[in-house]
Amino acid sequence: MEKPAPLRAPLCPAGHLPHTGGDCAGRLFRQLLCNAGDWRNHSRQPISPLVGEMPGRAEGGAKGRHLLIALSLLTATPAAAGPLNDIPAMHEEALAAGIEHAYRGPWEYFVGGGAASFDCNGDRLPDLFLAGGKDPARLYVNESTAGGPLRFAARDTGLSQRTLEKVLGAYPLDIDNDGHLDLALLRLGENVLLKGGPECTFRQANALFAFDGGNAWTTAFSASWEEGNAFPTLAFGNYVDRSAPGSPWGTCHDNALYRPEAGEGRPRYAERRPLSPGYCALSMLFTDWNRSGTPDLRITNDRHYYRGGEEQLWHIEPGRAPRLFSRSEGWRHLTIWGMGIAEGDLNSDGYPEYALTSMGDTKLQMLDEEAEEDRPIYTDIAYDRGATAHRPYIGEDLKPSTGWHAEFADFNNDGLLDLFIAKGNVEQMPDFAAVDPDNLLLGQWDGRFAEAGAEAGIGLPTKGRGAIVDDFNMDGMLDLLVVNREENVSLFRNLGARAIPGEAGTGFPSGTAAKQMAEAGPMPMGNFVAVELAQKGPNANAVGALIAVKYGTRTANRTVQVGGGHASGHSGFVHAGVGTAERAEIRVKWPDGEWSPPYRVFANNFVRIERGAAEARYWYPAE
Amino acid sequence: MKRVGRAPALAAAVLIAAASAAAEPWHEGVMSRHVDQDALSGTLDKAALEALRERGEELFVGHFTPADGVGRPFATQAIVPTKRKRPPENAFFRSAGLDANACAGCHNLPATGGAGDFVTNVFVSEGFESADFDSLDPQFSNERGTNHLFGAGLIELLAREMTVDLQRMRREALAKARRQGSAVTARLASKGVDFGVIVAEPDGMLDLSAVAGVDHDLVIRPFSQKGVMTSLRQFTVNALNHHHGMQASERFGPRWTGERDHDGDGVEDEVSEGDVSALVAWQAGLKPPVERTPDGPEWQAAARKGSAVFDALGCNECHRRALPLQSLSFADPGPLDMAGTLRGSELAEPAVYDLALLDWARGLPRNGKGAVLVPLFGDLKRHTIADQEVAALGNELLAQRFVERNVFMTAELWGAGSTAPYGHRNDLSTLDEVIRAHGGEGRAARDRYVEAAEEERGALIAFLRTLVIGP
Repeated sequence: MEKPAPLRAPLCPAGHLPHTGGDCAGRLFRQLLCNAGDWRNHSRQPISPLVGEMPGRAEGGAKGRHLLIALSLLTATPAAAGPLNDIPAMHEEALAAGIEHAYRGPWEYFVGGGAASFDCNGDRLPDLFLAGGKDPARLYVNESTAGGPLRFAARDTGLSQRTLEKVLGAYPLDIDNDGHLDLALLRLGENVLLKGGPECTFRQANALFAFDGGNAWTTAFSASWEEGNAFPTLAFGNYVDRSAPGSPWGTCHDNALYRPEAGEGRPRYAERRPLSPGYCALSMLFTDWNRSGTPDLRITNDRHYYRGGEEQLWHIEPGRAPRLFSRSEGWRHLTIWGMGIAEGDLNSDGYPEYALTSMGDTKLQMLDEEAEEDRPIYTDIAYDRGATAHRPYIGEDLKPSTGWHAEFADFNNDGLLDLFIAKGNVEQMPDFAAVDPDNLLLGQWDGRFAEAGAEAGIGLPTKGRGAIVDDFNMDGMLDLLVVNREENVSLFRNLGARAIPGEAGTGFPSGTAAKQMAEAGPMPMGNFVAVELAQKGPNANAVGALIAVKYGTRTANRTVQVGGGHASGHSGFVHAGVGTAERAEIRVKWPDGEWSPPYRVFANNFVRIERGAAEARYWYPAE
Repeated sequence: MKRVGRAPALAAAVLIAAASAAAEPWHEGVMSRHVDQDALSGTLDKAALEALRERGEELFVGHFTPADGVGRPFATQAIVPTKRKRPPENAFFRSAGLDANACAGCHNLPATGGAGDFVTNVFVSEGFESADFDSLDPQFSNERGTNHLFGAGLIELLAREMTVDLQRMRREALAKARRQGSAVTARLASKGVDFGVIVAEPDGMLDLSAVAGVDHDLVIRPFSQKGVMTSLRQFTVNALNHHHGMQASERFGPRWTGERDHDGDGVEDEVSEGDVSALVAWQAGLKPPVERTPDGPEWQAAARKGSAVFDALGCNECHRRALPLQSLSFADPGPLDMAGTLRGSELAEPAVYDLALLDWARGLPRNGKGAVLVPLFGDLKRHTIADQEVAALGNELLAQRFVERNVFMTAELWGAGSTAPYGHRNDLSTLDEVIRAHGGEGRAARDRYVEAAEEERGALIAFLRTLVIGP
């Protein structure tokens, strides 16, 4: 059992007080791992494949876990092989690109640290809004050219210092359907809705939208256009209620759901409906897990502060009060230090899988065989797929990792989803890895993942939090922004595949050619398509739509969403790698469930699909 | 960096690669040795090019065997690597393949690299996972005749130059629209061939609805009856898999499939990048067809008249007599291929086959500006070739690679005198029949032909039969 910390403000929140008895990385754990010699030469085990899955005591399972750790080591499987596919060369160039910005602050800012990428000036290039914690958030306008170095320029938003301070995260969406993307700011204190205007102008719109931003410590957000509504339903996830007696232990704040009332051409969010109980949410996502057409709300929670809590899935049915999925409906008890949610359809079956970041091993959830249309029963496949990412992959530190933002994306355009995880010690937690590089788990053809963070160049000794995976220079290769705590952001430009000498006959450069290539620089990767959706009327950006990119006999499914990750969101082109395919056939399941006709698109292009149009339209970035 | 002067070394490298792993003379196989792609960079001199082409010809005519990796029990014929759920009942299968033992098994009229008789028709489908559906039924596949490859290097070079033109026009229109803040309409034309109109919007959007005869990415794809294949290299990789189950590593290797034996036939790394290069070099270097002087004054006179009739009837609107080509340097890999076909940027330095080094190049006509006039009798543009009344050439049920069923690339007529039968299904025995089968955009010229005097029709045939593949 843990003991309450003597201080009101713990030294290591977000999961994060080391528990007496070694709740996460006790002596036995370290002994087991430290005796393992060079971890790189051994099986890479999850710290606790069943952590959090023990019924009942969420925090009291130290002894049991140690047994499980020992068992898991005894039942080791062969180590995951290195990537067989292209490893993207990710070049860090934040300062050169003109971005000097860190996420800073005391305890309350150990969590959060998000960013939003969206086009605020109509050029379709993703601009960036970066949370600053105690420092003001900043807006950077993208001035990159196609395929060139990344270039951003800080832009004065005209917003007050008060509005821009204490921002933990941000998500872009067009709340009032005026064609300009707005921002939902997650703050320590009053949350703010920013109404976007032309040329990256914003104004505070809480009063305009009758939105009471409350005074909570907000760490998660998601939005969805419920059936029949012209405006989005907003969900805010809150962390510890600092004003509650006994805080921070067992004092998680309720979360909040705001359903829109139609105003005069704009929404009114006058009614705040609590989502209770709250278990210290760090990420939430409206997700159509069963493809019913009605997204439910998944929340990942930080077990460190809740009592009797667990991961949550809320029924969100139009016109009805939210209610939690129950045990009798198949929802299984799971307690983790939930930090981030990523959704991706790994097997293209139409049903998404979820990555849940935590301290120690990441979860990778797939619908179980027992699952049914109305029974969300998930099984964890992270260990089988080599996606636990439970400790640093470089360096000598064998302590567990701390995972934050997670996102599925195809970084090498081979058609396989990869998984990025931002990592970083909460602050100075001694039982967790101090140097904890971000992960780039490349999807492999056998369904597993292989770590390539070091080779890709993202394995930096930073404390990552939120992140954006987006194509900042519109070259078809996904770039990466990581918001770091107390350090400048990392901005990685994807240069293409690292030219790593391969064996002759493997399709990779080999011999002399490879050596020369290594000197010459990266080489092109697979083909891609990038899709922008548009529909008339409300929800013009088609949040909730499914984009099915078919090439050959494979289909890459992508969903347009607002939420998830860690305090970070993206709006704009949706990217899909298509490997060796020169063409793809794209169908869109619009948010109301109507399927589009197939759109024939040539690969390596950006296209806009307007609902009802006969053909996709091609778009070209400025050169 | 050009590698002029390295010819002996390159030639030796190709040969050494061959000799070092040479099997017994009685070995039943073709691929017991591989060409080293590393030895191919920069402009090859004549000796190196000839050595490479020699190996390419060996691969083109060789009968692939199980020792080479022939067969694809667990992969389909699809261009995108696709696994098969179970092996087909028969390894050789006239529709989904394997349907040939060697490239030259079909490409052999009137000589190796040539066209094929009806019996060599192939069945084009996008590749299903189940052999049960890979049938001869036109619902599932299109039946196509075998094209000849003579002059193919020049054709690809023309297509590359035209693509550069069209994409430059697109780039300029977009830049101008952005600059002036209003839409810009630009006509697409290259080498005198019109490809319609694009409208560039100031925000970078492009209206392609009035583009004609070329894919929306404005890449001229000159190969196949349909005009949907970009390069000899791409086609070679496709065909090796489709017809022989010989899988090139550059598409079917671990990089794109995670496997060295993607087709599950027990042979890894079946075709190397260098092997494909040898095949490409051989095909690219095939001499172009010629207009021969026919035997006897009667045919000569008829051909002269027929040449005039050709223009008078408007055949030359699509069957352009010649297109100008600026350069004979054939980079391999080329500039337009996409992932899955080796790209130049994947190599330290691509090889360049200077077609001017080949003996036949000396006889190529040039215009006053020094450009080679490639006498292809085509426009490298796709056209609708069937209509309600004249529908014989619209006999396919499936679109292919986004190109509708009635639309085909203008057949280049060079070599027509040597490559009967005609039509994309090779089911029209004579030139007269195939001319009469033109509908759609070819209908007007066809009608003029039908209405012409018999003497004129005969003269036209006399002329077309002088367009031959030389010895």
